[in-house]
Amino acid sequence: MNDLVLMGLEGAVLVTGLAVLLLDLWITPDQRRLLGFGAIATLGVIFCASFAYLPDGTQYAFGGMYALDEFALYFKRFFLIAGMFVLLLSVGTSHAEEGGQGEYLSLSLFALAGMMFCASAANLALLFVSLELVTVTFYVLVGFQRRRLASLEAAIKYLIIGALSSAFLVYGIALIYGATGTLDFRQLASLPAAVMESRILWLGALFLFVGLGFKMAAVPFQIWAPDVYQGAPPSTTAFLAVGSKAAGFVLLLRVLHQTLPVLETRWLHLLMGVAGLSIAYGVLCAIPQRSLKRLLGYSSIANAGYLLIGVATLSAAGATAALYYLAGYLYTVLAAFIVIAVVLQHTGRDDFDSLAGLHQRSPLLAAGLTFAMVSLAGIPPLAGFFGKFLVLKAALAAGAEHPGFYWLLGIAVVGVVISLYYYFGVVRAVYWGTPGEQPAGPIRVEWPLQVALYLAMVAILWLGVMPNQITNLAELAVKSLGLR
Amino acid sequence: MTEQTQSYLFLAVLLGVAVAFPLVMLGLARLWATVYSPAKPGPAKAAPYECGLESTGDAWVQLRSGYYLYAIVFLIFDVEALFLLPFAVAFTSLPVGAFVAILVFLLLLVEGLVWAWQKGVLEWN
Repeated sequence: MNDLVLMGLEGAVLVTGLAVLLLDLWITPDQRRLLGFGAIATLGVIFCASFAYLPDGTQYAFGGMYALDEFALYFKRFFLIAGMFVLLLSVGTSHAEEGGQGEYLSLSLFALAGMMFCASAANLALLFVSLELVTVTFYVLVGFQRRRLASLEAAIKYLIIGALSSAFLVYGIALIYGATGTLDFRQLASLPAAVMESRILWLGALFLFVGLGFKMAAVPFQIWAPDVYQGAPPSTTAFLAVGSKAAGFVLLLRVLHQTLPVLETRWLHLLMGVAGLSIAYGVLCAIPQRSLKRLLGYSSIANAGYLLIGVATLSAAGATAALYYLAGYLYTVLAAFIVIAVVLQHTGRDDFDSLAGLHQRSPLLAAGLTFAMVSLAGIPPLAGFFGKFLVLKAALAAGAEHPGFYWLLGIAVVGVVISLYYYFGVVRAVYWGTPGEQPAGPIRVEWPLQVALYLAMVAILWLGVMPNQITNLAELAVKSLGLR
Repeated sequence: MTEQTQSYLFLAVLLGVAVAFPLVMLGLARLWATVYSPAKPGPAKAAPYECGLESTGDAWVQLRSGYYLYAIVFLIFDVEALFLLPFAVAFTSLPVGAFVAILVFLLLLVEGLVWAWQKGVLEWN
């Protein structure tokens, strides 16, 4: 019974998903919105309930399969907030969705449950199953607008590359099991040093990293990101950008620091290289983009690079910075995609030309998009600035031990400068773009989306001005991971 | 030669035989065909065989893809049976927890069936 209580948050999300799926069968289309709001309210209750958990150290359930600590709780709250915004976004744009609204809601809830399981995975089997729960539901969510060719194309690409990465992941897990004879994180952590030298174990861990890299959209596993981001429905893209990436990072951090600490030194150069390449690739490829969703796809690759710098420092400060960065990135990306969703609904396009004159058609949308872009560019006092600042500070501190971090720092700073160009290109298109033959009537934003956008903007500002509350939570989370 | 390499030699010989045997057989059959039944194609002989009837229409007809739904719904019952059988065999010695667990599992599958039913997947049109 105690096991089920520890797993209560995920269980509640799953039950909500199942209930939505069933309720949707017997309600009228008018009540569909109410169903969505009901699901969001339930997630809100679950979010509040997460503060009732006060884990003293790490608590295990189901024979060590499942771990609950502050680190897991931090990410669970993160995923729950993301889930609430995504559901709000999908309810607000519901009439644009074909297929069933109820199915969209329940699939999103299942993906959310999978992400929350990722945060608590303490066994390679649970790691794989929870990641697959996320990925398989995303195959459907990406291709949800099944009469739109772009959506189907994105789904096929995501399916093929996702299946490939899953194959790497499960092969890696098999190799680790072959080398050590266990899948349990605690047993892996307490293996004798002689076993840790096994080459098969390294190879398995490397394959594991490939699988997680796909989730994070880090170079060289990034190839799917721009196409899928462009083709998928906006609410799915937002969830993919935030949830899937964070799921990769939560698992990477746990495997790196709690499961196989021997990898910390082995993977240092790998992590640094991947971080540098991700920033360089994301930033350079974003320059010529004219589609906003594609731009955010490349930006997400660059952001994976910044996050990986925080992870690569292998310090508590770096991990805390990464956790804070993710929180800021969450609200920023959500604000951007709320605007994109509305613009897409009205113009059917998401390129820069369709943004022209947006500040006259809807000042709120223009302000929201500007907030998001300025935060992504890393301008104080918004959340994006403080996240980048913390990551770079951690890298600077790590540079004392390993000079390679100075190079990484250089790449990161140059990346920030280049990214100013394209992020402000979006702002320029919004305020100074010349509208073509488009109808320039005002855009009415539905109230759920208005609420979501206002909340996201307040959160971006609040995180930037008062970062302490989140960094304190992040520090607590990192401490429970055993990082000094 | 050590014992270990000898055992690999055996595998190599086996592989050689496995490849050679069908090749020899196929070669013999080919030789037999060219000697005793050389190909003499004609319009009647080249026509597709349809139990003696005149063949009509194109062979590239499209089949309904609607069947895939039945395959998926079948999976519900298929997987169910897979777990129910060992459950039934060990039923008397199982604790209450196991009974509840299998009940939850069954309810999940039933929900899938109810959903498919309500969505009209089981109606043929």
